Amino acid sequence: MTKYGMVVDLDRCQGCRACVEACKIENNTPSAVFWMHVFRLEDGEYPNTRLSFLPRPCQHCNNAPCVKVCPVGARYGREDGLVLTDYDRCIGCRYCEVACPYGVNYFNWRSPDDAFADYQMSFDDPDVVAVTDGAVPPYRNPVHDRKHGDERRRTSGSSHDKGVMEKCTFCVHRVEQGLLPACVDTCPVGALRFGDTDDDETPISQFLRTRETFQLLEELGTDPSVVYVGGTAPTSHAREIERPMTEVTR
Amino acid sequence: MTVQDAHAPDERREREETELPMGVGRVSRGWIAFVGLAFLGVVVGIIGFLTEQGQGLVGTGMRDLGTMGGATWGLYITLVIYFVGVSFAGIMIAALIRLFNLEHLKGIARMAEVMTVVALLLGALAIIVDLGKPVRGVVNLFRYARPQSPFFGTFSLVITGYLFSSLVYMYVTARRDAAVLAARPSKLQGFFRAWSAGYEDTADQRARDRRTTFWLALAILPVLVVATSSLGLVFGLQVGRPGWFGTLQAPAFVVLAGVSGIGHIIVLAAIVRHALHQEDRIGVDAFAWLGRFLMTLLFVYCYFVAVEIFTTIYQPAVAEQRIGDALLTGRYAWLFWGSIVTLVVPALLLAWMAIKKQWRIGWLVAIGVIVNLGALAKRYLIVVPSQTHGQLLPYGEVGTYSPTWVEYAVMIGLFSLGALLVAIFMKIFPIIELADADTDPDVDDGGAERPEAHEMEKEVVS
Repeated sequence: MTKYGMVVDLDRCQGCRACVEACKIENNTPSAVFWMHVFRLEDGEYPNTRLSFLPRPCQHCNNAPCVKVCPVGARYGREDGLVLTDYDRCIGCRYCEVACPYGVNYFNWRSPDDAFADYQMSFDDPDVVAVTDGAVPPYRNPVHDRKHGDERRRTSGSSHDKGVMEKCTFCVHRVEQGLLPACVDTCPVGALRFGDTDDDETPISQFLRTRETFQLLEELGTDPSVVYVGGTAPTSHAREIERPMTEVTR
Repeated sequence: MTVQDAHAPDERREREETELPMGVGRVSRGWIAFVGLAFLGVVVGIIGFLTEQGQGLVGTGMRDLGTMGGATWGLYITLVIYFVGVSFAGIMIAALIRLFNLEHLKGIARMAEVMTVVALLLGALAIIVDLGKPVRGVVNLFRYARPQSPFFGTFSLVITGYLFSSLVYMYVTARRDAAVLAARPSKLQGFFRAWSAGYEDTADQRARDRRTTFWLALAILPVLVVATSSLGLVFGLQVGRPGWFGTLQAPAFVVLAGVSGIGHIIVLAAIVRHALHQEDRIGVDAFAWLGRFLMTLLFVYCYFVAVEIFTTIYQPAVAEQRIGDALLTGRYAWLFWGSIVTLVVPALLLAWMAIKKQWRIGWLVAIGVIVNLGALAKRYLIVVPSQTHGQLLPYGEVGTYSPTWVEYAVMIGLFSLGALLVAIFMKIFPIIELADADTDPDVDDGGAERPEAHEMEKEVVS
């Protein structure tokens, strides 16, 4: 049985946030929304400080609190380890968001196609059409409109319907085609690895056997599919030194 | 001496035969002004809701947790748990009155039932305005209901089971009054006849109804404890959210629910007593009972809060400490200590009145209002700080949340709708159960014990 997992090599991560950018392009996420986020952290007091980076995709927990609390089963875990959101069933109560200790959920506070062009680029916007002449830009991926998995549910990025919850999908639309998630594919230093952790012969399983690993907030018992190697987990005194954009509106 | 007593007995009887009791079917200028104001409030709420629906929840002050530095649940969820809490006390008191045959409280049973139904409706509406997809929510919450989610208790159990059983309870307990009123000619006669549905107030039917309401009351009590606890569990089960996770959440929710609900009943009973001149039906002993009950619950809740503060400051985990600091000395300190004052001071005042055995209705009304403000603040302090200050990953320093006009407008709308519904109910049905003596002087409903009880109480009107 395939069981997807991701390994984040903290010894390799240089905090360039290329994965964040790749995710935004691949999934066309609205402004201030970061399905993949890289913490840039500072620990200790000057002059004894230490800088570290911590990529944070959705942890795709095997014992996911968000799946447990969803009142309608829109957030669900698949047998292959992916935790996804059914945009056609989500009612927007945001319980998954408060239940998640990792802060990976992003709600669609407004409609993507309204007048605020800087919220999300609309391909039907007259200004955009004037430039593109109606051609769909290459990163507008029609695969997003398909239904995924055996369960045939609409779960991959890019729709951003007003009033539903979204988060990292492990790029389900790419994984199902045998491709790597966009962040993994983009990482210039190979800090992110992705694959079937259930099969002992895959590169990710072989890599994991050689290294000591930890999970984020292991003590909560969520059992994430994302495991970290190298570096250390952020201490509770770590400070975020650089935060991405936070405003949804202009 | 009441106004009715001043009239000659003949004149009074004549008036009673032509008019319906408890001001039903007649509207005064004050009532129209009140309803007009409440209607205006409802319009404000609708404008807020439509604005929110038009642009999305971006119109509210809520934002995502984590990188966006907001709180994703805010005033709406605060109102949901507040309203469901208010409803809790209403039906609880109504059920206790039947179960323990509290004769001197019969005057407030009906209004407590009405309050429960209205508050539950408001709670349901508050849930719906909070949803990103309200229409889909109404369908999917039932279509795809998952009992594993604590929201099942909040949405499905509260809105269907609890609201339905409260409605049935109110309907059954009011049938006798409806039958009595259906016998009198009035514009509302058809309505009363439909409500009474063949009930004729025979001894047989009366006994059967008493049995029905007794067992129904017995069945409702555990349902409402489960429903209100499930609201506490919505928060108390979340291990990933420091400040929420804890065993005390569910019982504390139930107790604070009782506090806010009894506060409401006191205010409503005082208004009805004054407006309808029902000093003899809602006696000071009824207020004394409510006051003592409220005092007990307040002391229990203050005890819970004290235990919680102590647990937070003794040897807290880092995230717990961050929330504790925000509450005790930080951003929420004014609201936290303010809410403590609004709960402790009324508890002490009530204790003083209980010792003195002097129950001042004016003071009780003020206490009823104040404890509700305190309860609302406490609800807010449960919902918000754990989101803005309770991040386990190092997301910046703290988050922020402040409600926008949209949320305040919806809040005004909900409260106004509640006032409007109660005011309208008062004009189409007696808000106080008709006394047995009004309809059938032969039936003595255990009234022999009443004088003794009065002597024991020795309550003084001031």
